[in-house]
Amino acid sequence: MNEQPSPFSLENTLASVGVRRLTPENTTIFEGTFSLLHCAVRGDNLYRGVFAVLLFPVTYPNRFISLRYTGEKDKEHEIGIIEDLATFPEEAQHLIRRNLARHYKEYLITRIHRIRQEYGLLFFEVEADGHPASFVMPWRYDRAEEYGQSGKVLLDAFDNRYIIRDVNALSATERRMFTSFIYW
Amino acid sequence: MKPTPLNVITIGRIPATVRERAQAFGFDDDCLQFAIASDLALDGRATETWVLVSSTHVVVIGTGENGETVGPFELRTATKVRAFHAVGSAFLQLQIDGLYVDVARYSNSLREPFGRAIGELKCLIEGAPARPEVLSRPSETLCTRCGLPLPSGGGGCPRCLRKQGIFARTLGLMRPYWLSIILLLLVMLGGVGLDLIPPMLQRMLVDRVLAPPADAALMAHAESIRLLIWILLGLVAASAGRMLLNIFIGRTSSIIGTRITKELRERLQRKLVSLNVEYYNRHSVGSLMSRVLYDVDYFQGFVTQVAQGFLLNLMLVLGIGAMLFWMNWRLALLALLPIPFVVAGTTFFWRHIYPRYYRVWDSQSKLSQLLSGLLSGIRLVKAFGQEAREERRFSQAAGYLQQSRRGLETSVATFNPIMGFVFGLGGLIIWYAGGRLVLGEMRLLGEPITLGTLMAFFAYMGMFYGPVSALSMFSNWATGFLSAGQRVFEVMDATASISDPPNPTRRAAVEGRIEFRQVVFGYDPYNPVLKGVSFVIEPGQFIGIVGKSGSGKTTLVNLLCRFYDPQEGKVLLDGVNLRDLRKEDLRRHIGLVLQEPFLFRATIAENIAYGRPDAEPAAILNAAKAANAHDFIARRPAGYDTKLGEQGAGLSGGERQRISIARALLCDPRVLILDEATSSVDTESEQEIQKALATVCRGRTTIAIAHRLSTLKNADRIFVLDEGRVAESGTHEELLALQGLYHRLVRIQTELTRIES
Repeated sequence: MNEQPSPFSLENTLASVGVRRLTPENTTIFEGTFSLLHCAVRGDNLYRGVFAVLLFPVTYPNRFISLRYTGEKDKEHEIGIIEDLATFPEEAQHLIRRNLARHYKEYLITRIHRIRQEYGLLFFEVEADGHPASFVMPWRYDRAEEYGQSGKVLLDAFDNRYIIRDVNALSATERRMFTSFIYW
Repeated sequence: MKPTPLNVITIGRIPATVRERAQAFGFDDDCLQFAIASDLALDGRATETWVLVSSTHVVVIGTGENGETVGPFELRTATKVRAFHAVGSAFLQLQIDGLYVDVARYSNSLREPFGRAIGELKCLIEGAPARPEVLSRPSETLCTRCGLPLPSGGGGCPRCLRKQGIFARTLGLMRPYWLSIILLLLVMLGGVGLDLIPPMLQRMLVDRVLAPPADAALMAHAESIRLLIWILLGLVAASAGRMLLNIFIGRTSSIIGTRITKELRERLQRKLVSLNVEYYNRHSVGSLMSRVLYDVDYFQGFVTQVAQGFLLNLMLVLGIGAMLFWMNWRLALLALLPIPFVVAGTTFFWRHIYPRYYRVWDSQSKLSQLLSGLLSGIRLVKAFGQEAREERRFSQAAGYLQQSRRGLETSVATFNPIMGFVFGLGGLIIWYAGGRLVLGEMRLLGEPITLGTLMAFFAYMGMFYGPVSALSMFSNWATGFLSAGQRVFEVMDATASISDPPNPTRRAAVEGRIEFRQVVFGYDPYNPVLKGVSFVIEPGQFIGIVGKSGSGKTTLVNLLCRFYDPQEGKVLLDGVNLRDLRKEDLRRHIGLVLQEPFLFRATIAENIAYGRPDAEPAAILNAAKAANAHDFIARRPAGYDTKLGEQGAGLSGGERQRISIARALLCDPRVLILDEATSSVDTESEQEIQKALATVCRGRTTIAIAHRLSTLKNADRIFVLDEGRVAESGTHEELLALQGLYHRLVRIQTELTRIES
């Protein structure tokens, strides 16, 4: 027999005061003026100029999506969160994905050709998003952060984001070259 | 890649295709105000698009075949313009009909020029005159000469201000000791001369006493014995002389080395203290400690290496090499055969083993940080019952250290014997070729040689390979030194972006009038925390600052103490811009009491007198009395001489806070800042502290940040911060009457108090 959670359980308590969940039953997502994302929530307002943000961009890239809008005095507000995008109609999924693509600009590194260190800077020559690319990043701890279990996100001198999803998936030579500089 | 300098805001470089398409929208050169090239399309594709701005319209035109267009937008219909920072890129957005519409997208590389362009667009929308000088100002993020990104903490271009190498800079540190060093070098030269004598004496011993060649004239037995004794005496003299010189070299290099490391540690400490708060946001305390405590030791090793390692070995190699070539240059050439292998080995070492030193250092630093965090948070670990988890985390970090150290040491352990074997090969060659020369064969190597000459050759060879081997191993040591040196000089070269003005304004006395004038500031310059804050505080006023977490309260304090400078606007004390005051002069007039009082491992009296070490005991007592700390101190067996533990261990939170108030008071500051001074103590302690504050704030400009609004009821004025702006200001009663944010906060707190009670 499955044990029913008590109405006073932690999960229920948090659900009552926590984030609002947007489901296909209570939320309609559509494209409106200026091709902006609009969102109507049953029993609530129509929100215009909505944008989507991933709450767990590494661990759950398709789930826990926060829908937000800019309100009065340019303050940002959350409308609610979509726990699982797959439950929404195709059209809504497409609109949200397109909106997410606008919110995130990350270059995915698939190969490392060369890394040179000079003046406290690392000069990278890589293959990113299928094209040869090069960038300069300060050789500092805070510019190469962990990304998931074994990935790294490299922030160049201007805060552009270069992702290596899995350092272990690089070839032995690339990995040696990479870890000889990004050793942390 | 050579980064592009800031040259994107231009009219002259617009591609012809874009110019043509723009004309279709009525944009021609005459009406263009400015244009800026972006590197992304709205959907994120990398492509060049142009934002063209006239005095009435904005249009975006792509350079691609289709020349995708966004707009044109009529500026008259736009109410606002902003940069919307997404992840990894940003959007130029116009507000039309209350909605922000994406006009152009750009990568973070273009944040600076787009930031300026957006500022100009704002002027156009608001009908203000354009400021062409803003657009043409040189870049603050890129070197205008070579295009290299500039360090974020300020300072010049690292390429254009090319710095000396680490070795050269370390030699520079030795400049004050140049006399001792020259003496040291002369003594070393003498020592090398002494080292060269014994093999020649041994050659004489073999050829003239022990085994003279068959064709040599026979010496009388007594004469042989006499020669033997003289040769032995020569050997003893050379050996004793060497011993004395070694003692001198060892002692002198130790004296110089320890002095250099002491001075370097002091310089590092001075530098660390002078660096601004922003530097500490980027570097962990553990890694900085490791640089001062351990990396500096390598500099003593440098002196030892120079005196007894590298230079000595180099001199020996040159001296012995000269002797070998003088005795038989053909044989000497054979002895050099392994040298290419040595060079190859050294190159391999630099490329593949050198970087492993970084990993070892990193793992040591991580382990030290983990342990330090664990021990300081031990109560939390125990309270949450997470001992086993911490054990696992520590084991992981220790495993990383073990792995990285093993990686380094196994590489070195493999490399060294291989190099030893290569050197050994040279000896075997000489045994073969030299042996046959003694036997009168292999004439292509020259005339036959005596057994004594071969023995001397071997003696020199034995002395030769030692220093050559040591020299090749020098890279082993030098790599460690270089990585430590790099870390030490990185701190030395860090720029304190808050610098004193060249001609500071001097103020003997300060009244305490504070003014924030249109202050804009963000820890990330593109995300302001304070967005145009303006207010005036008159001398002696008690000001409360309230607001939600993240509204910018502590940032105000950080700017007032000049831990940071605003990006726009001014902070003034008695009408003088803080940038025109010396930091020391400014901070002398400011007393700061933080939420977490920091006490040093010293006596209570020393902690109170921290800002005024020369304070008389009576002054310390007065300050403690005023801070309501005197009575609990007096009750302690050792009174004011009570030695406090780490961070004031042995005192309650309220007691620690009252000591920190006494410390601030002893400096008699004109401006007193209380940053959540009572929020981490119990109600009773809070009452005690409030009593103390009521006395000590009198006559001083006081700024109190507090979450408990009841503590600010009597403030002359309260500023309510919201999203980086002063949303409301007035007295407690005035703000309540406003029925705004403050009223809401008070209502929430009253509710909370009711629930608690």
